[in-house]
Amino acid sequence: MASASDVRSILSLPAVSSPAAGPSQPKNQVAVSNRKPEGISRELYSLIGPSAPTLLAQLAQPRLKQKPNLGGGGKVKWEWRLFKNGARSDSLKLGHWVKATDNPDADYKFAKYNAQPTVYEWSQDEYSRHLEDSEWTKEETEYLFKLAQEYDIRWHIINDRYEYPSGPKREIEDLKDRYYSVCRKLIRNRTWAGDEFSKSQLLLSFQYDKEREILRKKYVASLANRTPEQIQEEEALYIEIKRLDQNERQFKRDRENLLRTIAGVDSGLPDIIEDDASLIIADPKKKKLKGIDLDIPQTPVLTAPVMRRPPALNKNAVYDTTHCIIRNDPPSTTPATKVAHTPAYFRSVRISYPKAGIADKVNALLAEVGVTNSRLVMPTHANCQRLESVTDAATNLIELKRVLDKVNLDIEVLKNRLQLREDGGDSASVADATEMDDRGDTAEPEGENGRSQSVLSARSTRSRKHTRRSMSISSVDTTVATSSRPSTKRQKRM
Amino acid sequence: MANADRVRVRGLSIARPIVYGNSARLLTSKERENVPPEHTHRWTVALRSAASAPGSDIVGGADDLSYFLKRVSFKLHETYPNPVRNIDKPPFELSETGWGEFEVHIKLHFIPESGEKVITIYHHLKLHPWSLSGDTESIPPLEVAQKAGTVHSWQYEEIVFNDPYQNFLNILTNNPPTPIPRTNTSGRTIPFHIGNPASFESLKGGVPEFTSLLEKDEAERLDKAKKLIIAEQEKTRALLIAKEKELARLQKMLNG
Repeated sequence: MASASDVRSILSLPAVSSPAAGPSQPKNQVAVSNRKPEGISRELYSLIGPSAPTLLAQLAQPRLKQKPNLGGGGKVKWEWRLFKNGARSDSLKLGHWVKATDNPDADYKFAKYNAQPTVYEWSQDEYSRHLEDSEWTKEETEYLFKLAQEYDIRWHIINDRYEYPSGPKREIEDLKDRYYSVCRKLIRNRTWAGDEFSKSQLLLSFQYDKEREILRKKYVASLANRTPEQIQEEEALYIEIKRLDQNERQFKRDRENLLRTIAGVDSGLPDIIEDDASLIIADPKKKKLKGIDLDIPQTPVLTAPVMRRPPALNKNAVYDTTHCIIRNDPPSTTPATKVAHTPAYFRSVRISYPKAGIADKVNALLAEVGVTNSRLVMPTHANCQRLESVTDAATNLIELKRVLDKVNLDIEVLKNRLQLREDGGDSASVADATEMDDRGDTAEPEGENGRSQSVLSARSTRSRKHTRRSMSISSVDTTVATSSRPSTKRQKRM
Repeated sequence: MANADRVRVRGLSIARPIVYGNSARLLTSKERENVPPEHTHRWTVALRSAASAPGSDIVGGADDLSYFLKRVSFKLHETYPNPVRNIDKPPFELSETGWGEFEVHIKLHFIPESGEKVITIYHHLKLHPWSLSGDTESIPPLEVAQKAGTVHSWQYEEIVFNDPYQNFLNILTNNPPTPIPRTNTSGRTIPFHIGNPASFESLKGGVPEFTSLLEKDEAERLDKAKKLIIAEQEKTRALLIAKEKELARLQKMLNG
């Protein structure tokens, strides 16, 4: 609806001025009073009128949140850069868009996610000692571990790609079982740096129970394959059980209260073993009862269970250390059987010393790492245990070195045999491992003529040991009538 | 509780920390007038509780051990008259004069409630000052000996009782040991021990004292040693596995 002033302006009539006001005033007044408000339409204003309280709310400028300034006020220059990826084994450089201000020497952001699982390898000695299994040959176990490493211990992939030519059909649970049991055995039997707790935690991560897993998978499968009727039936049964439980608890509580009020507080009722959920509900109820029945003291009933707990449970860690008490697991045998009593002893007397055969080597090793085996400065329980484990570790190391030496020796032997075979062309002549001493086996007298050229070239790479041997043979052979060519060869070599 | 002295508490060991050893010093010329002419030193061999009494100048001895020790006997060298010296009441120590070092057999007799037999421990009586070079044969000259002052040789030890009788256990728990201090109290030094290289400092003098810092240091040394050994083990094992592979390869070459 048009107001009067609007009509006048439309019709170009002069504005009506109020008689008392001067020229500026009316203008102001007009400006103030009749100015159409911002934010709402003119028509609405004329409908509502200027003094409506809702006007204020309407007039309020919507105070929207400022658009957050992401600091990208200035222009950012992006450039295409080739980057090196720490996780790659080849040195392929790929490129990506990166802000020009980005540090070019920093590692590739995602390289740290290239996590490799710890690979477990074992020596032959370890295998024969701990890892033998009737159903798994050594080769198949090695194949399994190779696959496991290649496929990142992702079992479904491993199971899919597993194709050992001569083995029986392996289910995924068999594979997992073998892998985890091998890992567990290795951890248990190798010396472990750090405390028992971290070791047991690691062991826990390798727990795998094959039977349980198979059963569990069966259950899950059957769960997924339920027909709708079965699902409904199960739900109905579940609700029934819950209801019965509720009723039972209620019933028990009511019964006990009743008996107590009738027979008195010390009616000798055994504590009713209720589960945790109900205990929480029970406590406020007991408190309520306290408030109500002030003459019947509730406390005797409550303290009775406390006293029934055996006093020995007061012992805690602080008590133990102040009294230097150490608790072992109580032996599984009942006290009735006569367990031999170990007499009192001094702790340092009971330190275990390494076995006689390798004692010297072990002690030498310990001295190298700064431990005297003979006496501890402070033979406390903890330190004695530490010393024992250090001694064990040292013993294991000596054993390992011994096995390593044996393997090295075997390698030497085999290498020599191979060299000899190349010379002589006659593998049958190189009979057995005692050939270090067996001079007659050197193939020189035999294959010289046919193979002289290759022999020469082979011999140039021979070890000094071997040349010496052949030199002694040459001294033998010069007495025997041989062709001149071998002797000249030998001389050339010398 | 009726048969408390016949029922054993299984699965439990209880220990008591002690120190045993001797201190020795040269006799002054005045003192030498009253003793047999060969004797050069006065020494005291003792078995005491590990913690030291505050303000005392002896090693250990804060607690009275007679609550579980009935008697301590020190068996000296045969050349001493009555070499078996029984000490039936605290303090369990013995002072004598002499000229030579020998092994003292210390026998601990426990109270009857413990049901324990006599246990023995041996201590080499130390008269002459410690020498770093480990030269045990030569006796240091007089000036060196005088400079060294009192020579101390002590060993910390723990007596462990396994599966004690309930009665004995109660007696023990009624007398908890004074805990050893964390670090050396003022005026005390670290006891000299061949196992602890840091203790060579203490040869300069001072009454020694056993602290839990010593224990911690030793624990650290042991742990460090163990880590070194295990690192070496890992290296050796990796080498072994590589060598075995090579062996297998060579075998194949030989047979193939």
